[in-house]
Amino acid sequence: MASRCAVIGIGQTKHTDKRLDVNHTGMVREACNRALEDARLSWKEVDALVIGKAPDTIEGVICPELYMAEALGMVGKPLFRVHTAGSVGGTTAIVGAELVRAGVHDKVLVVGWQKQSESDITWALSPHLPFDPPLMAGAGGFFAPHFREYIRRSAAPDHVGIKVAVKDRRHALRNPYAHLHQPKVCFEEIRDTPMLWDPLRYGETCPSSDGACAMVLSSEKYAYHGGTRPAWVHATEMRSEPTIMPGRDEVNPRAGRDCAAALYKQAGITNPRRDFDCAEIYVAFSWFEPMLAETLGFAEPGEGWKLSDSGATSLDEGGDIPWNCSGGVLSSNPIGASGTLRMAEAALQVRGQAGAHQVDGARLALAHALGGASQFFAMWIVGSEKP
Amino acid sequence: MQLNDHGESLCGQHVLQYPYRRATGPILGRFFTEIRDNGRFLGIKTSSGSVLCPPVEVDPDTLEDLSVDDLQEVGPAGCVTSWTWLSEPRPGNPVQRPFAWALIKLDGADSALLHAVDAGSESVMRTGMRVIPRFADERNGGIRDIACFVPED
Repeated sequence: MASRCAVIGIGQTKHTDKRLDVNHTGMVREACNRALEDARLSWKEVDALVIGKAPDTIEGVICPELYMAEALGMVGKPLFRVHTAGSVGGTTAIVGAELVRAGVHDKVLVVGWQKQSESDITWALSPHLPFDPPLMAGAGGFFAPHFREYIRRSAAPDHVGIKVAVKDRRHALRNPYAHLHQPKVCFEEIRDTPMLWDPLRYGETCPSSDGACAMVLSSEKYAYHGGTRPAWVHATEMRSEPTIMPGRDEVNPRAGRDCAAALYKQAGITNPRRDFDCAEIYVAFSWFEPMLAETLGFAEPGEGWKLSDSGATSLDEGGDIPWNCSGGVLSSNPIGASGTLRMAEAALQVRGQAGAHQVDGARLALAHALGGASQFFAMWIVGSEKP
Repeated sequence: MQLNDHGESLCGQHVLQYPYRRATGPILGRFFTEIRDNGRFLGIKTSSGSVLCPPVEVDPDTLEDLSVDDLQEVGPAGCVTSWTWLSEPRPGNPVQRPFAWALIKLDGADSALLHAVDAGSESVMRTGMRVIPRFADERNGGIRDIACFVPED
């Protein structure tokens, strides 16, 4: 892995509940066109495409990348499909970065997307298999017991989840591409939404979104092709663990801890809260923020909720380590794109392109994606300087 | 939930079913809408001058987006460029007696559309034969708005 990899183009769609005006291909091309324009490259100049979305049963189109290949300019070129559930968008970016760092390609387009309006994710995730009790709950119902266990262990007060949701929704107001824009969002508004899966209220869950996010990753040779300064990939890491295994800790999964440790070692990170200027972390439900703060080493075990409660992760409260300045997954969740968005938003920050949600002078940013039953992890670190 | 024929194990029915919806996009949307509302076929003219039906959204040569302005009428008659006989139709097939799956190049188009040809007998089928569409009585904007194609004469 001697070669360096740079993010030279970034594009995303306006995330929304229903993109009835485009089909899958049209939506994916919209994000890709924007990324290519940012990189000042044409479709024909792309060497390879890495593409990811969450399971095909969600929209009921199996291997959509095959019928999209021609429209994505990949006739006679390498096209690589990635499958790692909700973390797929992050894994997709990492696969693209590795192709560049390994010297296989100079210019790789990576894209993640989801069109949740074409199906019903809750039911797609809850098939009633013979002889099993029906889950009938989707992702929120699956993760709620993990959050309840986290609260039991850490004695975190109930308001922390609400506070995280308010914080990310307020961040989203700074991001024109975010799905949810709730101009007057406040603690009481989230608190008074119905309890769906204790301890998760409706206001503490991610939306169902249609959207796509693309990046152009390049070797050093093309790093300044786009005219805007590149974001340099400093480290990438992936880990996974089984859904069920003896001794598995769903609150603080070992694969997540190992992934962070290996990533930080690559980039020489010893104190993530101090060393990073901001982070884009896969917080699809409010309580993931304090839990992941512990898994990812931003707080000691049992102390993550204090980080969130203190305002340290909030732009609006002038926190020292803002998380999800874009509004995060809590404000936009086109699942297959959600991981790509974390990676891309971190890159936007260190390129100084994040607009109203820019962290002043951000030089080093962490991105993280999580998938399946908190079992797939994909992370990268990007910086404004060469690694 | 039941025992199997040998009384050994449990067997259970599992039907995987979700309510899928499709957004077709501007180009294919017009293609389906014209079939539904007017019984007309649209192809799309690409930069090389070819007319593709079904229409595509992206020019295969330049990789640029095509526009609804590039759509033009083709068909409704056309000729079979290739076919295969299906002697035992399955439930859900568009024709419920032996029929042909065929690639059909509509008049004015340079590419072919896959659909069913209800010719009655395999002996009627031949490459190059002329066919015309038979539209469904009730049309709702899907490919099944074309019930099938039939021999022109």
